[in-house]
Amino acid sequence: MRKASLPLEDLWACFQGIIPAALSTCAADGTPNITFISQVYYVDSKHVAISFQFFNKTHRNVRENPFACVVLLDPRTLHAYRFRLRFDHSESTGPLFECMSLQLQAVASYSGMTDVFRLLAADVYEVLAVERLEGFTKLPVPPPSERSSRLFVDSGLVSMRVISERLNKAQLLDEVLQVSLQLLDEQFGFHHSKILLADERNGKLLTIASHGYTENGVGSEVGVGEGLIGMVARARRTLYLSAMDHGLRYARAVRGRAEALGCTETIAREIPLPGLPDAASQIAVPLMTRDRLVGVLAVESKDPLAFLPRENTLLTTMGLHLATAIDQLSRETDDAPMDRIRSATPIPASRSGLIRRFTFFQKDDCICVDGDYLIRNVPARILWRLLKQYRDDGRVEFTNRELRMDSWLGLPELKDNLETRLILLRRRLEQKCPEVRLVQRGRGRFALEADAAIDLLEKET
Amino acid sequence: MVGTRDASLLPECTRAWGIRVGAKQGTVTIFLSKTIVGKTIENLRDNGKIAITCTRPTDHITCQLKGQVRNIKPATSADRDVSRRWHSEFMAELKAIGVPSALSQAWITEPAVAVEIAVTDVFDQTPGPGAGGKIGP
Repeated sequence: MRKASLPLEDLWACFQGIIPAALSTCAADGTPNITFISQVYYVDSKHVAISFQFFNKTHRNVRENPFACVVLLDPRTLHAYRFRLRFDHSESTGPLFECMSLQLQAVASYSGMTDVFRLLAADVYEVLAVERLEGFTKLPVPPPSERSSRLFVDSGLVSMRVISERLNKAQLLDEVLQVSLQLLDEQFGFHHSKILLADERNGKLLTIASHGYTENGVGSEVGVGEGLIGMVARARRTLYLSAMDHGLRYARAVRGRAEALGCTETIAREIPLPGLPDAASQIAVPLMTRDRLVGVLAVESKDPLAFLPRENTLLTTMGLHLATAIDQLSRETDDAPMDRIRSATPIPASRSGLIRRFTFFQKDDCICVDGDYLIRNVPARILWRLLKQYRDDGRVEFTNRELRMDSWLGLPELKDNLETRLILLRRRLEQKCPEVRLVQRGRGRFALEADAAIDLLEKET
Repeated sequence: MVGTRDASLLPECTRAWGIRVGAKQGTVTIFLSKTIVGKTIENLRDNGKIAITCTRPTDHITCQLKGQVRNIKPATSADRDVSRRWHSEFMAELKAIGVPSALSQAWITEPAVAVEIAVTDVFDQTPGPGAGGKIGP
């Protein structure tokens, strides 16, 4: 009977390429082959990779007969470990290949042989069994867990790296917002989250993105100091509630009841904050950059123990990346050249036969769509301008620059937050009028797409 | 290092403690310690096919021998002397590349069996683009 296989995670010291390993294979004609290899790379708990730099016998053999046997030495004690392997596949692109290739290039550059030491592929082998060669050395076996965490990175840290890389790459503010909430779901399993941006002038926080709610709630507001989110904005420290107070749920229940009873007068022109009626825990993270509050990231869960110190640390770290990205991308003056914008484009005929009626209430500075409140203030004026130009001139493409030059919109000269306002408008349309869309066409440019005929009505009150 | 295979062509790998070029042309003898060679000896008795690679740690000069086993016998005292001399020379090589002697000293090289091999091919295996070229016999 074969002994139980050793976990690769305990053999971290063997995978550092400090001592060359020996690899034996066998040709289809039964001729064994043995060679030294400089490094065996850890891939995951069931796979290792070996660099393929030159066409050689090993390369040919494993494609005829996939089995291989490697003896690796632990550089600390020279204990020997025998790995039984089966060739699985070869990778010539992707993170594993790039990592191995870069390492080889770096080594090769010391000897001026970058062309010679070129990685052709990373050959990935399945690990069938691992045994220690008993009776190889008189030295005692070093404890397996001594430093294993240095090789096998905590999953939270790996997720944090994925998130940082993705946020670092994003080119557009809206992309940063969407991607970060999507990644929270994918990487950490947090299905319900939102981002609020700080409106310093008015002492408020404005929901700009959400994930995992039936109503996106974009445009809803929270006062600084109000509730967990508002408190975090004031204290500028991450805070979490593990067994959430009934207060929040109570307030939401009252609201739900009021809506059900048709008491819509009081709430008609206020967008409700997205939230789970049965949230059991909540965490709010201040989005800080250069000691300035950009906004708040809020995550909810039905699990009362979803947020503990570990999640606090991970989300706070992510919040720092997110804050910097938001801050940087909101500042960009993103002007597309005017001449590239077609001044008139024929409006495609409405496919649906549907008509959506937008009403602009001048006194309240707000727009309703088919009687439902849509948006107010600057974003409302922006939409009105776009819709009128769409209807009157057949315009479908617009630039941020032309909006900035339109004094009727009332954008402040400094820090106009135009991109934020456009995102808000985009999300509100998604929620209330999905037939009309604002589609980003690169930085500082967007298009208005409509699947419905648009009817515009202006009222004084 | 020694590569063999079983009847189903499953490869096996182990370490030998020294090699001696035979008086008869085209033969070598390697020393395998009994503790770690179970499967290798089985394979050699089954089909006798063997591959051996030898490297000098300080300059990576490497060659691979392929051959057929002639006989397997317990190591004699003369064999032990050869293996011990090899061990001390190899330790010096390892020390030169930074491996403390206390580590290589602790290897268990005895009791050993001596495996005599008729060499059929010799290949240059020094790392680089020319590796794999046949250089003998």
